[in-house]
Amino acid sequence: MTTLMKFPGKFKLGASSKKPMPTSEARLAEHTIDYQHEDDESLVARVQHGEQAAFDELVRRYKERLYATVYHMTSNHEDANDLVQDAFIKAYKSIGSFKRQSSFYTWVYRIAVNRTINFLKRRRNRNHFSLDDVDGSIQTDPDFVELMSHVTPRREVGLTELQARLNEALQKLSEPHRAVVTMHDIQGMTHADIAKVMNCSEGTVRSRLFYARQQLQGLLSDYL
Amino acid sequence: MDCGQAQRLLDDLVNGRLSESVACQLQRHVEDCTDCRVASQRAARLQRLLGLKRYEQPSIDYFNSFLSEFHQRLEAETAPRVTLWERIVNNLVIEPVRTWRYGFTGAVGLALAVVLIWRGLNPPDVNPPEDSQQTSVPNSAHILASSTLPAPHSTPQSIAATLPMSSRMAPDESRASSAGNDVIIPVAAHTDTSAPRYVLDRIAITPASYEVASIHF
Repeated sequence: MTTLMKFPGKFKLGASSKKPMPTSEARLAEHTIDYQHEDDESLVARVQHGEQAAFDELVRRYKERLYATVYHMTSNHEDANDLVQDAFIKAYKSIGSFKRQSSFYTWVYRIAVNRTINFLKRRRNRNHFSLDDVDGSIQTDPDFVELMSHVTPRREVGLTELQARLNEALQKLSEPHRAVVTMHDIQGMTHADIAKVMNCSEGTVRSRLFYARQQLQGLLSDYL
Repeated sequence: MDCGQAQRLLDDLVNGRLSESVACQLQRHVEDCTDCRVASQRAARLQRLLGLKRYEQPSIDYFNSFLSEFHQRLEAETAPRVTLWERIVNNLVIEPVRTWRYGFTGAVGLALAVVLIWRGLNPPDVNPPEDSQQTSVPNSAHILASSTLPAPHSTPQSIAATLPMSSRMAPDESRASSAGNDVIIPVAAHTDTSAPRYVLDRIAITPASYEVASIHF
């Protein structure tokens, strides 16, 4: 037991040191410039040697992509945030056992997707949507214009309805099917990468994608 | 190539992942087969529809605090977990400067407790016997006899001693009254103006001749 734990009232964290402890942002600012041009492999090696700031750079690189995948699987903003944080924490804790047989991105992606699938299995009966805002630039997307003109001439109504219908339809898929559709059709990942993330064969990925699309065509027949 | 195979390869055709020969075969089949052509068009529209989900994004400043939140959670999770026992011990261990105070208080409390327990086990005599020879505990009959009725050979002085202090005579008065054989009840005993009290000095007041005969069932 440390002295600090023995006398919690007497000692304050960092009170004895004259130099204040750097905040996470300060630590990040101190190291970002150095790490920005390094590849994932050397950053992982640095983290394995105890440099936490190198892991901050990895978080900066992949947080948005990971968030997007988890968000499209959960259709819930808060859940996505928690799960991505959990995934990075899990990755940081077990980076010592990371053998670098795959890229860091694939590895952390696998952690996030597996945790999300487990989470979705637990909350199967609770479909509470907390959707992100739709970017206004969708209004000028030719696909959106074409689809909406086909379905309804009123774009404002169509946009809200489209978002709700898409998320509802995705939530009706099984968790592995939803993960495959998210990674392939929304994130644009290849079958091979998805197979690595999901730890299955490419054939399994194709098969899941095929059946998921069949189901989605039935659920979104109004828009097709 | 049958329709099942063709429809499974449509995705690869759209994404340009088929070899040239397979792609030509598939295109010919789709041109000839109405079902596969419709399926191809629906699959393409579905992909475009799902692609629109990329416009769903969090607010611009959402990721600004992501890293600091991550650090907070990481610190909370990697902090050594304090067990219940350690928590109790931490609460008990006090700053060393004040330790002697708590120790002294504890010792005094313990000594007090020991004294109280000792007194509880050995209660002190409230009226210690004057005569050191009468150390034996008198029996109840003796107590009754000595506290209530005067002994048969009582003298007027000893009878007067049993009376309450307020009703006793002065010594010279007692001497004068005890000149004869009769016991003179002092005047002071009759000064009490309250109603007279009748006290039975015997339990059986019924004559023997009135006793009920033994009952026969």
